[in-house]
Amino acid sequence: MSRPMDRLWVLLTASFVVYACLALLTGVIPAMILSNTKPTPGLSPLDAQAARGREIYVAEGCSYCHTQQVRPLAQDLVFGRPSTAGDYAYATPQLLGTERTGPDLSNIGSRQPSAVWNYIHLYEPRAVVSESVMPAYPWLFVVKDRAAPGDVTVPVPPGYAPAHGVVVATPDALALVAYLRSLKQPSLGRTK
Amino acid sequence: MIADAHESESRAQAALLSAYIASATFWLIVTTAVGVLLSFKFPFPDLATSPYLSFGRLRPIHTNGTFYGFASVALCGLSIYIAARSSGTGIFAKPVAWLSLALMNVAAIAGTVTLDLGMNDGSQEYREWLWWVRLIFLIGVGCSAVVTAGTVARRAERPIYIANWYTLGGFTFVTVLWIVALIPSYQVGVGQVSLQAFYMHNAVGMWFTFVALGAAYYSLPKLLNRPIYSYSLGVLAFWTNAVFYPVIGAHHYEFSPLPWWLQTLAIVFSVGMLIPVFAGTANLLLTTRGGWDIVRRSYALPFFAAGIAYYFLGSSQGTFEALRTAQAYWHFTSFTVGHSHATMYGFITFIIWGAVYALLPLATGRQPSLLLTGVHFWFALVGVTLYVLVLSIGGTLQGIEWASGNPFINSVEAAAPFWLARAVAGTMMFIAHLVFAYNVYVMTVPQRRAAAAKAQPA
Repeated sequence: MSRPMDRLWVLLTASFVVYACLALLTGVIPAMILSNTKPTPGLSPLDAQAARGREIYVAEGCSYCHTQQVRPLAQDLVFGRPSTAGDYAYATPQLLGTERTGPDLSNIGSRQPSAVWNYIHLYEPRAVVSESVMPAYPWLFVVKDRAAPGDVTVPVPPGYAPAHGVVVATPDALALVAYLRSLKQPSLGRTK
Repeated sequence: MIADAHESESRAQAALLSAYIASATFWLIVTTAVGVLLSFKFPFPDLATSPYLSFGRLRPIHTNGTFYGFASVALCGLSIYIAARSSGTGIFAKPVAWLSLALMNVAAIAGTVTLDLGMNDGSQEYREWLWWVRLIFLIGVGCSAVVTAGTVARRAERPIYIANWYTLGGFTFVTVLWIVALIPSYQVGVGQVSLQAFYMHNAVGMWFTFVALGAAYYSLPKLLNRPIYSYSLGVLAFWTNAVFYPVIGAHHYEFSPLPWWLQTLAIVFSVGMLIPVFAGTANLLLTTRGGWDIVRRSYALPFFAAGIAYYFLGSSQGTFEALRTAQAYWHFTSFTVGHSHATMYGFITFIIWGAVYALLPLATGRQPSLLLTGVHFWFALVGVTLYVLVLSIGGTLQGIEWASGNPFINSVEAAAPFWLARAVAGTMMFIAHLVFAYNVYVMTVPQRRAAAAKAQPA
């Protein structure tokens, strides 16, 4: 007695066809349609410096702890308005995130516009939020004896500052903070 | 002459399985050492501050390394070996099997180094490796697939043993999945979110679940010396898993801007997943029925018992976690990290260990000590159970803090003691891995020395 499914090629072909169809229907086709989402009105692409900052954000894995996705839940509204698909039109790679060990950053440019706060916070998070568990990023800064003209110096509070010299932001730090400050949700206007 | 050929084939099989398991064990040690360091960075955030040891770079090294360097390599080796043993034939195209192992290791090394240098493919979870690294790995897995299929094709009996259904299915699915994930043209903005939802969950349930269940379907009957309870139940679980699972990825993005219908469909099929989970668990447990006396005395069977229990608990947990009411609290919290360790560790890794302890001594003729296997088992089991428990509690507290509208930092403070407990649990798990590595050494290396000694003229 021969059962057709006993044959190797039938098993392999059947598995392949079933999964390839499901991958198309639930993976590829929705992704194709959604890839053509129109940008939210008022949203503009990042400038060169902020785009560089976004690359650092990706390289340092910031999205493992910070979401960029405000849910339509009351508890999320502290971070901004609920995110819409058009908010991500210029955001590839996508950085919505799946964990929120730190706060959501969808609208951080509006919520924390201070560049100085961001520099100090990146240099040593516990200098501004004592209970923070965020890693410090001292390698985005250099310590110099004295600031050169045009240097952006960071007023690190005593106790966290190096014993000698001044903390100067590198171009990477400038770019990353430019990106963070660019994260502003465009208003959706009045809704019914 | 025939006996000689048989013996040389057995030796070649033992050498191949030993190499796969030794390689997998190496990556287990490296990537879980990284995991322990990561866990201690929560209570001590200024620990090891360096770009090369920073949380954001080490986290994908931990996840990709355990997924691909450890679990995938181990399961490829087990699949090939199981294909040969269950088909009563030699391994097809052995050089390709060795090439597969080499390619997967090249990918794991290149992936680890590039991630540590801050080079990743857009922080997309479980596919952070650069595209060319993933291509190398895909070719490596493809080689293992060809060897497994080629070996099954040589079988003497007409039916394909159920274990091989699962491993061959897993190979087919993972190949499709990795190709789909590599093509960038439909991964723009929220389109990439949708594809990421599909990818990240399918990588677990269409690959690891299938090959691990394949390993269990071969090893359990072998250890108990009795047939699998039901062939049909195994086939039912195979097809229901294959059809339901691909749809459920969007449950990782509930309340996101992904289409609401896609999220709802994902939740519905997450509930549907109870069918293959119940069928698979029942089939494996009924195979063991009445054999609990053997389980107690065996050193491989307890790993299967724990693995099956976590398969059932972790998967059912996934279904209930997917419901919107639950996600409103648990989404984005450490609860999810607990869940992923219940499944990838409690289920997949325990099944791998069970299969290694069942099959490696059979291949090499060397057995580990019962005491050290017990130490491995209890440290790993208590460790992962504590891990899942404390993150479930800590994650729930995070969710409650957010829902109460308290300042965000309150959720950090509420979870902090549980993150510390997680680091302790992770350390226990790591100690278990060191003991496992020693057991693998006992099961593999001295065997070769003994063989070499035997080959010497007296």
